[in-house]
Amino acid sequence: MSARKVLQGNVIIAKAALAAGCDFFAGYPITPSSEIAQYMSKEMPKLERTFIQMEDEIASLGACIGASLAGRKTMTATSGPGFSLMQEHIGMAVMAEVPVVIVNVMRGGPSTGMPTKPAQSDMMQARWGTHGDHPIIALYPAFAEEMFSETVRAFNLAEKYWNPVILLSDEVLGKAHMDVEIPEPGSYEVYWEQPRQIIDLNIYDRNIGENPPRVDFFHGYPIHIDGLEHDAHGWPSFDARTVDKMQKLRMQKIYQNLDDIIRYKEYFLDDAEVLVFSFGISARSALAAVKAAREQGVKAGLFQALTVWPFPRAALQERFKKTRKVLTVEMNMGQMKYEVERIAPPGVEKQNLLRANGMPFSPDEVLNAIKEMVR
Amino acid sequence: MKKFEIRYGAVGGQGIITAGALLVDIAVELENKFAIESPTYTAAVRGGPTKVDVIVSDEAIDFPHATAIDFFLCTDQRPYDIYKERLKDNAVVVVDSHLVRELGDTRNWKVYPVPIINETKVGAGNVVLTSVVSLAVTQKLTQVISYDHMVEHIKHWAPKGTVEMNLKAIEVGMNLIK
Repeated sequence: MSARKVLQGNVIIAKAALAAGCDFFAGYPITPSSEIAQYMSKEMPKLERTFIQMEDEIASLGACIGASLAGRKTMTATSGPGFSLMQEHIGMAVMAEVPVVIVNVMRGGPSTGMPTKPAQSDMMQARWGTHGDHPIIALYPAFAEEMFSETVRAFNLAEKYWNPVILLSDEVLGKAHMDVEIPEPGSYEVYWEQPRQIIDLNIYDRNIGENPPRVDFFHGYPIHIDGLEHDAHGWPSFDARTVDKMQKLRMQKIYQNLDDIIRYKEYFLDDAEVLVFSFGISARSALAAVKAAREQGVKAGLFQALTVWPFPRAALQERFKKTRKVLTVEMNMGQMKYEVERIAPPGVEKQNLLRANGMPFSPDEVLNAIKEMVR
Repeated sequence: MKKFEIRYGAVGGQGIITAGALLVDIAVELENKFAIESPTYTAAVRGGPTKVDVIVSDEAIDFPHATAIDFFLCTDQRPYDIYKERLKDNAVVVVDSHLVRELGDTRNWKVYPVPIINETKVGAGNVVLTSVVSLAVTQKLTQVISYDHMVEHIKHWAPKGTVEMNLKAIEVGMNLIK
């Protein structure tokens, strides 16, 4: 017998959420994410945790935000159309600094698009879908073990930085049944800070760059939580100096901790002539392609982003000191390629493999594109 | 066996995704191989062309869709027409002889036209057993999993009260290929 099991990608995410201590799930099932809600609906009651099927995705995230403020670890799961509906509440969670994990199993869009076909077309929506300047964390696993570890990490980062964390996936990864070794409890970090009794009303008061504390909102003093810009008390304030400080607090808790937040994997890059930049299902094609390229004597390597937002800028820039050719592979009409272009120094040759017709790139398509660049 | 790629083609509802899921479970949990199964289907719950790719390997699998197919089993004409691409030379192809009538150029493949659906109904007694019949056909022609592991897993997997009929389905599948 093997320690490895066969699990559907969506179920790996759901199991990881339970392992991370998720004790509140509110969602509205949508293809290709439905099995996450389905699994949670079966397993949460057994553990005396809460599952609610809401009337829509707006209410789903609203319920998660409320439960999170009440001290729960919360998650919702959806796909593009539902993710669009959630954007307003993502802004609310950023503004009020509320931890929540939002899974988006990407399918073909826009609108209802192609429910049963994969896409990676919500990359920019994950970054800029809600209005206003805001910090966001988005993670995107590609392989079975990463689907577990990145889900746990999504909860840890949400709790640590009091911010919504978007966990991206796609139809192929969500629907595939794959062999996976689920790690033993205790072998991975589960971050949890016991909610603190409020000793005064300055719940948002802290120094810039400091992590916010988890506050026990419902035991102690009445406090105010608002989507309006607010002061340290949480009361609305449009005083320019206060706004400056609050914006910096929200931004810097993320951007001063990039080393903790950004994670990526590098394959065969040390002597690579071509760097393939990819993530999610496309990174799996790209890994097969760079291995095939190596077998044919072509020096290609893969940079696989696990944290897609904030963008792993510094690590990629380091690679561009030696590798002067980059191929971005993504299942959309061109989104993360702009991030690559922004940071690639002059003289780096940039090519892209882009497609959003529901067909993942096969490894030979990526291999051909690599070979074009070394010809 | 380094890497073996299998594709099942059907229309939604024929049970072919289950065949792929069973095969992956057996390969990983009983034979300690690496395996992945990825379905492709349409928004139609019933009747849309469907495929499921199964890769079984001695090594971890990077790309989850089949790209060089060793074995293709198909139970309907439409998925046959759409999904018969990427078959290797000398691939083994099994088609339902009643439901896939236009085979096209099959010179590079070894083709077995057999009445899968009909024999499932008549021999095993219920068309829902197509998945298990297809699994048995796959086992017999490819040896990608062992017969004993297949039987062991089906006994364990079959819902209460259905073990006998599922074992009968294995027998039907084994006898379909002479």
